[in-house]
Amino acid sequence: MTIALSFRNLTFTYPEGEHPALADVTVDIPEGAFALALGATGAGKSTFLRSANGLVPHFTGGTFAGQVFVAGRDTLANPPRRLADVVAFVPQDAGASFVLDRVEDEIAYGMENLGVDPAHMRRRVEEMLDLLDIADLRHRSLRQCSGGERQRVAIAAALAAGPRILVLDEPTSQLDPQGAEHVMAALQRLVHDHGMTVLLAEHRLERVVGWVDMAIGFDEGRATVGTPREVLGTLAVGPPVARLGRLVGWDPVPLTVRDGRAAARSHGLARPGRTTPETGDALVVLTGAHVQHEELGQPRPALRDVSFTLHQGEIVAVMGRNGAGKTTLLRTIAGVLAPHRGEVRVLGHTPVPGVDVGLCPQEPESLLFNDSVAGEVRATLRARHLPDADAPWLDRLGISHLAARHPRELSAGQRLLVATAAIAATEAPVILLDEPTRGLDPDSKAHLIRYLRTHAGGGGGAMFATHDVELAAAAATRILMLAGGEIIADGAPADVLGDSHVFAPQMTRVFGPGWLTPEQVAAAMA
Amino acid sequence: MSATRTATVHAPVAAVTRARAPLGARLRVPLLVLTNVAGLLAFLWPFALPALVHPGADHRMDSGLILVVLVGGLGGLLFTELGQGGLGPKTVALIGVLGAAMVALRLPGFVAGFNAFFIVVLVAGNSFGPGFGFLLGAVGMFASGLLIGGLGPWLPFEMVAVGWLGAGAGFLPGRGTKWPVRIGALAVYGVIGGYLYGAIMNLWLWPFITTGSALAWDPSAAAIQNLRHYATYYAATSFGWDTFRAVGDAVMVVTLGRPLLACLDRAAKRMRLEVRDADPALAAPP
Amino acid sequence: MAPGSVKSVVEGDAVSFALRVPASIATSTATADRRAAIHPGAWMAWATLAGIVAFTTTNVFYLVPLWAIAWFVFTQQRVPGAASRSFRVFLIAGLMAVVIRTALVFFSQVSAANVAYFALEGLRLGTILVIFGTFNAVTDPFGVVRLAPRRFQEPALAAALALSIAPRTMASLQRVREAQQLRGISTRGARALPALAVPVLEAGMEEALVLAESMDSRGHGRGRRSRYRPQSWNAAAWAMTGAAFVAAAVFRIASARGLGDLQPGTNPLHWPSVTPLVLAAEALLVVPGFLPRQGGLRR
Repeated sequence: MTIALSFRNLTFTYPEGEHPALADVTVDIPEGAFALALGATGAGKSTFLRSANGLVPHFTGGTFAGQVFVAGRDTLANPPRRLADVVAFVPQDAGASFVLDRVEDEIAYGMENLGVDPAHMRRRVEEMLDLLDIADLRHRSLRQCSGGERQRVAIAAALAAGPRILVLDEPTSQLDPQGAEHVMAALQRLVHDHGMTVLLAEHRLERVVGWVDMAIGFDEGRATVGTPREVLGTLAVGPPVARLGRLVGWDPVPLTVRDGRAAARSHGLARPGRTTPETGDALVVLTGAHVQHEELGQPRPALRDVSFTLHQGEIVAVMGRNGAGKTTLLRTIAGVLAPHRGEVRVLGHTPVPGVDVGLCPQEPESLLFNDSVAGEVRATLRARHLPDADAPWLDRLGISHLAARHPRELSAGQRLLVATAAIAATEAPVILLDEPTRGLDPDSKAHLIRYLRTHAGGGGGAMFATHDVELAAAAATRILMLAGGEIIADGAPADVLGDSHVFAPQMTRVFGPGWLTPEQVAAAMA
Repeated sequence: MSATRTATVHAPVAAVTRARAPLGARLRVPLLVLTNVAGLLAFLWPFALPALVHPGADHRMDSGLILVVLVGGLGGLLFTELGQGGLGPKTVALIGVLGAAMVALRLPGFVAGFNAFFIVVLVAGNSFGPGFGFLLGAVGMFASGLLIGGLGPWLPFEMVAVGWLGAGAGFLPGRGTKWPVRIGALAVYGVIGGYLYGAIMNLWLWPFITTGSALAWDPSAAAIQNLRHYATYYAATSFGWDTFRAVGDAVMVVTLGRPLLACLDRAAKRMRLEVRDADPALAAPP
Repeated sequence: MAPGSVKSVVEGDAVSFALRVPASIATSTATADRRAAIHPGAWMAWATLAGIVAFTTTNVFYLVPLWAIAWFVFTQQRVPGAASRSFRVFLIAGLMAVVIRTALVFFSQVSAANVAYFALEGLRLGTILVIFGTFNAVTDPFGVVRLAPRRFQEPALAAALALSIAPRTMASLQRVREAQQLRGISTRGARALPALAVPVLEAGMEEALVLAESMDSRGHGRGRRSRYRPQSWNAAAWAMTGAAFVAAAVFRIASARGLGDLQPGTNPLHWPSVTPLVLAAEALLVVPGFLPRQGGLRR
C-alpha cells in the first residue's frame, strides 16, 4: 500500500508557544484513506493539517523537528507551492483565502499556476461547477456569496487542480446540516471511486464520524491513530450518541445514529413530558420589521415582515439555511441596522448598541485590541463606566487561566470566548452571538452554554445564530427558524427540531421527538 | 543535546538541501552593495568632481544616469529579493501591505517636514531588520511617488534616503529588549533621523549652489570650511522645517510605537524557522 | 478525455450525481458577465494616460472636468463587491489633498497668488488620486496582477495586496467599528484610535499573510502559468486606450509648445484661458463611460 502522507517524529512549536503544538507525531496515512483529525481546540489538529502541505513550518516559523512526506516529497525542502500538484488545502476560513473576485476565476486559479492546458482547464471548471452545483454562481463576485456558497467554491477550487490528497480544516463549519451531509457524501465518493486521500478536521463529530475509516486523535499535541471507535475511546470527545453510550455504559460505544438505534432497541422511551420554561417580561419586540440591503443600487430584501418577541430567561437559537437572514435579524435587534418598515424595541425603546444589546460578531477578532485577555474585558468595563473587575467575567466563560495571555495568540475557540466575555461585560440585558461555532470544541461549547444559562437565569435574554443542531438542542429554550428572510417556525426545541428531517439532533433521531441531549436521555434511563 | 540548524527565511531551509543557491540569492548581496554605493555616489559625486558642476545646474543633468543605475539596482534587488530564492511570499505580502500604508499616510499626514509615513519605516525597520527596512523605504517612496505625482529627478534620492532610515532602525535594539529602552532608542533615532534625512536630501541641491556666499559650497576650500558652510546653510534653510519631522517622529514613536511594534513582532516571529534534528528527548512530555 | 491530458480525479456522470450538492437559495441579482468586462490592461492604460493629462496641467478648467469624467466612468463601470468602495476613499483623499496642499501656503508668504498656486498644485494631485480611485474601483486588483509575466509573480503579489488594500481596509474598518460599538466602546475621537487601529492593522497583516499562504498553497510562483478564459483585447479596449492616448498626446504636445494655457501663472492672479481643441481632447477620456457596462446588472 502506498503512503500518501507520512509524518515521522514530527515535533513542532509555534514561535510564541511554550509547549509543542505537535509532540513526536508519527502517522502514516495510506493512499485512499478517509481520515479524520479530532481533539479539543488547541490540541494540535489544525497544526497537523497545515503541516500536511508545508504551511507549517514555511508560513508559521517556529521550531520544527522530524519529517513530513507528501507523496514522497519532504515538506522542509518543498514549500507549499511545490506540493500544490499533489495536495490541496481548504482552510478553516475559506472566505479569507480567496485570491480572485469571480467564482469561476477562483476555481481556475490553481490550475493556472500549474500550467494546465487552457482547453482542459475550461472543461474542468465546468465539471467542478456542476459537481458542487454552483454553476449559477459562476460569474458572481465571491464577496457577494454566502458562507456556505464560499465553502463550496473553496472545495471546488481545491478539487479542480486535480490533487491526489485533499486536506480540509472544518469543511462543514459554515454549512447547514443538509449541505454538510452532501459535502461529506461527495468526499466519500472521491475516496471510494477515485482513490483520493482525504484528511479533514471537524469538531462536530456527529457530522463526520460515520463517514471516515481512520481517525487521528490529538491531546496536547500527541496523536493516537486507529479506527474512529478506537480513537474516540481514548478521548473525552465524541458525537452525542457516543456521549450517551459512555454515560449509560454501552459497549461498544455507538458512533452513528444507526449504531445508536441498535443499542437503544431495548430502551423504549416514551415522549418526554413538556416543560414550559419560565419566562419573564418582554425584552425585545420586533413588529413587522422589514430590512433590505442595497446591491449596486438595487434593494434586496433580507428580512420580510418579521414579528418576534424575546422574553427574559429565554435563549433563542436562530437557525436556517445560509443566507436566510440570521445575521441580519441579529444586527437589526442590536440596533446597527434600522428596519425600512416596522419597528424594533428593546426595553420599550430603540436599541442602543453596546448598552441594551451586546453582539459578538462572526469574526470575534474584530473587537480584540488589547494585549491581554483581562485587559480586553477591562476595556469594556471602562467604556461602560463599570467597576474594574474583570475576574468574574473571565470566570463565567471559563477563561480565568488565560487572563494574562495575548488574545491574538489564542486558538479560534478561545478567542471567541474572550470576545464573548468582552461583550458580556457590557451587562447588556440582551446578548447576541453570531455563529459562535467556528473552532469551538466541546469544552469551550460547555463554557458558552453555561454562560448563556447564567445570563438568562439572571433576567437577561440571549439569542445565537447557528448551524449547529446539537448546540441548539443543548442550549436553546426556543428555536426560531428562518427562510428567505421570513420566520417559518418558532417554538420549543422539542417541537421545532423534532419535526424536521434536516435539523433533528441525534437524540431525536434515535429516541424520537422530545429527546434532545444525551444527558436528558441518560437521566430518563436511570 | 541535539544539533540545531537555525535558518531564517532569508536563507530558506531549502538551502540546506540544495547544493547551490539560486541565482537570485547569489545576486542579492552584490546588488545591495551596488545600490547603496550608487546611492552614496549619487549624493556625493559633485564634491569629488567639481569640474562638472556648473553654476545653476542641478541633478537634472545627471538624473538620467542616476535614475538608470539606482532604479536598476533597486529594481534588481526587488526582483531578486521578492523572486524565487528571495524573501518568500510572507515578506512580499508584508512589503505590499506596509508599502500601501506608507502611500496612504504620505499624502494626508504631513506638516512641514513631518510626515506620518516615517513611523511605518521606523517600526517596520526595527521589527523586521535592516534589509527589510531598506527595501520597504525604497518601495514605499517609489509607490507613493508614482501615485502622488512626486515623480522627478529627486525620486531615486528619496528612495535611497528613506531606505537608509529604515535600515538604520533595524540596527537599534529590537525584540526582546525592554519596552522603555526599545521605544526610547527608536524615539531618539527618530529625532536624529528626522534631521539627518533632511540633511542628506539637501545635498541633492547644495553642491550646485556655487554662488560664493558663506552658505555655498566652495570647491577650492578645505573640507572643514565647506562643512561649516553647509551647517550654516542647513540651519538657515532647513532646520526649522526638519524640526517638525524630528519632533513628529519622536511623538509618534512614543504614542503609537508599542502597539505597532507588538503587531509587527508577531508577524516577524513567523519569519524565523528553526529546524532541529528529531530527538526523542524533545518529545518528552512537558 | 484527450490522451495525455492531466488525469481527472472526478469524472463521469455517476460521480456528478453523487457529488451534487443543492445550491442554497439563489439570491443572485448581480450577475457579472465576463463578455462585457474590459481588459484590465486597457484600464491600466486609461488610468496612466489620464494621470499624465492631469499631471501636465494646473489649469483649473482642465482639472475640474477630469473629476467629473472620473466620477462618470466610475458610476458606469463599477464592479460589484467591495472594490467599488475604494472610489469614495480616493475621492475623500483627493479633496484632502486640495485642502492640505492649500494649507502649505502658511509656510510661505500668504497672498492670493500663493494661495491659488498651492490650491492648484493640490487640485492636480487630487485629480490624479481620483483617477486612480476610478481605476481601483472598476478593476479586480488580483485580476490586474494576473497580467504580470510569470517571472514577476512575486512583485505582482505585493502590488496586488497594495492595490486591494483600500477596499479591504474600508471593509475591516466598518466591521471593527460596529463590533466595538456593540460592546459599548466609542469609536469617535482620538482616544478611540487604538480600539480601531489595532484590529484593523492586525486584520490587514493577517489577511495579507493568509492570502500569501493561500496563493502559495495553490502553486503561485511555480513558474508555469496558463490562462483561464483570458480576457480578449476587444474593440472596447482599443477604443478607450486609443482615445486616452490621443488625449495624453495632445496635452504633452501642447505643453511642449506652450499652447493651451496648461500652466497658467498665478502672479498676477487671473482666470486662465481654455483652448477648445485641448478640452475636446480631454473629453476623449470619457469614452469608457459609454462602453457596454462591465460587471453590471444583467438585465
